[in-house]
Amino acid sequence: MRYAEKLLLAILAIIIAFPLLYAFSLSLFSPMDFTDQQAHLLPSRFSLENYRMALGNRYYPLFVFNSIITAALQAFLRLAISIAAAFAFTHLRFRGKRIVLSLLLITMFIPPDALLYPNYSTIRAFGLLDTYAAIILPSLFSASSLLMLLGIYSTYDRNIYDAAVIDGAGDIRYILNILMPLTRSIAAAIFLQTFITGFNSYLWPLLVTSRMRMRTVQVGISMLGFAESGEYGAQFAAIMMITFPFLIILLIVRKKLMKTLSGNIIN
Amino acid sequence: MRKAFSLLLLMLASLSIYAGGSKEENTITIWHQFTGTHSQVFDEILDGFNSTVGKELGVTAEGIYQGAANDVLAKVKAAAGTSELPEIAAMDATACLDMKESDYLITADDAGIDKNLLLPAAVRAFTSERGLLAVPFCCSSLILYYNKDVFDEANVILPRTIDEFTAIAHLVGKKDADGNIVRYAFAGTPTTYELGAFIGAQNGLSYMVDGKNGHFGIPRKVLIETDGTFRNFLIHWKQFFDTGYVLNTADQVQEFASGRAAAMLNASDHLPTVQRLVGDRFEIATAFVPMTDENATGGVNIGGSALFMFSDSDAVKAFMDYILSKECQQKWAEETGFLPASNSVYESNEFKAFLDEHPLYRTAVDQTLSSNPEVTGIWMPSGYQIYHTYQSEIQKVTEEGKDIDQAVSDMADFIQLQLDDYARQNSAG
Amino acid sequence: MKSNNLKAYLLLMPSLILAGVFSFFPLAKSIIGSFCTISQQGEIIGFAGLDNYISLFSDKAFVSSIGHTLLFLVIFLPLNTLLILLAAVLTRRKEKHTAIAECIFLTPMAISLSSMALIFREIFRGRISIINRLFSMDIPWLESPDYAIAVLAFLGVFLDFGIDYILLLSSFRKIDKSIIEAAAIDGAGDLRTLFMIELPEARPMLAVIVFLAIKDAVMISAPVMILTAGGPFRSTETIMYYYYLEAFRSGNHGAETSIATLMAAFSGLMVLALAKWRKHDEIC
Repeated sequence: MRYAEKLLLAILAIIIAFPLLYAFSLSLFSPMDFTDQQAHLLPSRFSLENYRMALGNRYYPLFVFNSIITAALQAFLRLAISIAAAFAFTHLRFRGKRIVLSLLLITMFIPPDALLYPNYSTIRAFGLLDTYAAIILPSLFSASSLLMLLGIYSTYDRNIYDAAVIDGAGDIRYILNILMPLTRSIAAAIFLQTFITGFNSYLWPLLVTSRMRMRTVQVGISMLGFAESGEYGAQFAAIMMITFPFLIILLIVRKKLMKTLSGNIIN
Repeated sequence: MRKAFSLLLLMLASLSIYAGGSKEENTITIWHQFTGTHSQVFDEILDGFNSTVGKELGVTAEGIYQGAANDVLAKVKAAAGTSELPEIAAMDATACLDMKESDYLITADDAGIDKNLLLPAAVRAFTSERGLLAVPFCCSSLILYYNKDVFDEANVILPRTIDEFTAIAHLVGKKDADGNIVRYAFAGTPTTYELGAFIGAQNGLSYMVDGKNGHFGIPRKVLIETDGTFRNFLIHWKQFFDTGYVLNTADQVQEFASGRAAAMLNASDHLPTVQRLVGDRFEIATAFVPMTDENATGGVNIGGSALFMFSDSDAVKAFMDYILSKECQQKWAEETGFLPASNSVYESNEFKAFLDEHPLYRTAVDQTLSSNPEVTGIWMPSGYQIYHTYQSEIQKVTEEGKDIDQAVSDMADFIQLQLDDYARQNSAG
Repeated sequence: MKSNNLKAYLLLMPSLILAGVFSFFPLAKSIIGSFCTISQQGEIIGFAGLDNYISLFSDKAFVSSIGHTLLFLVIFLPLNTLLILLAAVLTRRKEKHTAIAECIFLTPMAISLSSMALIFREIFRGRISIINRLFSMDIPWLESPDYAIAVLAFLGVFLDFGIDYILLLSSFRKIDKSIIEAAAIDGAGDLRTLFMIELPEARPMLAVIVFLAIKDAVMISAPVMILTAGGPFRSTETIMYYYYLEAFRSGNHGAETSIATLMAAFSGLMVLALAKWRKHDEIC
């Protein structure tokens, strides 16, 4: 690699890394550091006060808990629903298969962002506002997750299934004991990806929750009111505390993630 | 192991999916826009209610943050007539026009709130032809924040009027050797809130629109042009700006706290936040808002929000009594910087002692008590657009040299247009 | 093998119900609603023909929201494509230091939308901002209508950077090494190999990234909400932010349903175009 290229790469890396590094620095700022005549790059003194304040907040831990629960539920249920559907499409013969499959895949064309209001009024009509169900329901079915599984399941040898059925193994047992272990990495990818998307979603949870104790952390972080009372640092401490775990997970599964994602173009 | 894990998840799923649940009986729901310290103190007040009066009555008060003040209004309007409408909502003056036309509001008068116990200026701020619409709760006023170190060093007398501020601007502002500004004398562009005082105080009492600033009946006519009040303000303000020591910005707190501006106007309840941001960088002091001219003796109006009631149950009344109690009002005032809404607090020795200990809090109290209570904030439709139009007209006059008369007439025309639209929509219905 | 109608539909039930309730039903509701007069409470009161669309396009705020969205797209798309391409090209060959760069380029993935928007709000807060200090500038950024949309576009780049980078990088690395080596033996320089062999090979993936970026850009709303709330002076109100205001703040269901219909049509066209293009290119 030539010198110019290395320089370019270094500059780009600094730009991309800057928001994260700066946010970390901000999380250590005192309120005064935010209002200095010259914007600070680094805190004037080291103190974990902001982290203490974020953790001591009445709602922050609850927000994080809500986020983890809803993201995990969403990932788990989406996986289960997709597996059931993919199994039916690849292992069973039934009437209307083609039509049903195209119907389900067509949903990829429909942008959920443009349907926020009707979906909101559906959830309201069901009386589900301010429940975990409201947060997760609309994203439980995903055509792209189904597509990813279809691709993998259709390559499996049907004879194994037939043999298993003759042996008296039920479908559930076949899925859990034979199909799942063989397709673990793609299932893990779907789970992880759904979990991350669920954990990060902003607009939908904002709309269907209004009680503080039902808010998720993405929505809640700007509602902790640290900024309004001048405690900007605590807000960034709250941000850093939800970013660190993801950062670590991301760096651990980096190689695997790259492999599975590259095989499946559309989300 | 894995099976057990998935079973556990499944159980969790089925159990928690309906967690949260719908509205419970015997709950007083309060929608509000409080964040940070305000929401913390408010939650503590609710906890106090729930563990005492609420416990006796078997009711629980629950506060729900619904976004900024105008978000709360939008949500109240959307929930009107449904079971989702809360018992109480905290909203500011922008909600008053809609609320007084609504048939679902229980006014404070209807609920039998004793107005004599409340701060007169705060009562006027929320009074319409239907009487007192809501219970004043977050009362604050505009005050001048200044950098005491700078003012002491310059050895100047506090400006009583804009002109006096113009005269000392070069003493509290600072330029470096090349003539670049190092410190502005003042930061901020006046808009609806500031003009409430700058226009309202003129000639002892002035209004921006008829119906006493839209409080009585449907506002139909804009007055800032015919009364000459906006013109008068702009003349003085332009001279102030032309000193070169005034910065147009919407982020005056940042400019002030950093020391880049020697003074700013802001709501009195922002005092704790400003103190936190300034830290020990310099000493903060507060003062009365400079008057537009010598005749502008009306003082300032009360801003902030009030509690609008949509239920007149005994529980809601008991809650209001609790909120207005001396202890509650005093806690709210001392911990948030708001002005107490109940007269009893002003007379109490504890509060007097508190003000002695915290002289910065005293300015807003003294200023409000010495203001003409008839000076009120404006109630008008399209508040958001009018806010930005004020801001940009003042920016054009000061920075681009737009003709003052032209700016006044453009502003008046714009407000008149909003009033006409509103009158048409509401007279038909 | 016998057919298993009952079992199959039982397994498909959750998928079908969810797709029906949360995709097809709201879509149909929006399309039908867009040709009807709807009350504030969301009830259909009559047939409106094209009235909703006409009043939508005669609202100045909506027309300027289209302008803001296009402006956003025009700044965002080239910047996004260029930076992603640059990152992927510079790290496409595994070397010692590229592993570090790779990790860095993935980090934006760990930061959520709302966190990133809040961080950007601080970086570009106004005249006294770190960005001005670092580059000795005096730009009001988020306080000025001229710059706020550019900050929004820059934020947009960071939001999708991680995932786009992975996709593009892996498509570079999937290229058969022997072709590249053969080119090197033939005396082709680094740049020549890049432009003649590698970039054409990565083109399909790049196209997917560009298509997705356009779709995301046209649909942008949440970052606007957190970063600028449409301000200053409504200069960053995008189409979908306008949708949010009309649907959830004003209860204007004429605007809500017609925007939904237009956006669904746009999204459908985008996917069709992508599918057609890929067929044409004979890749999938």
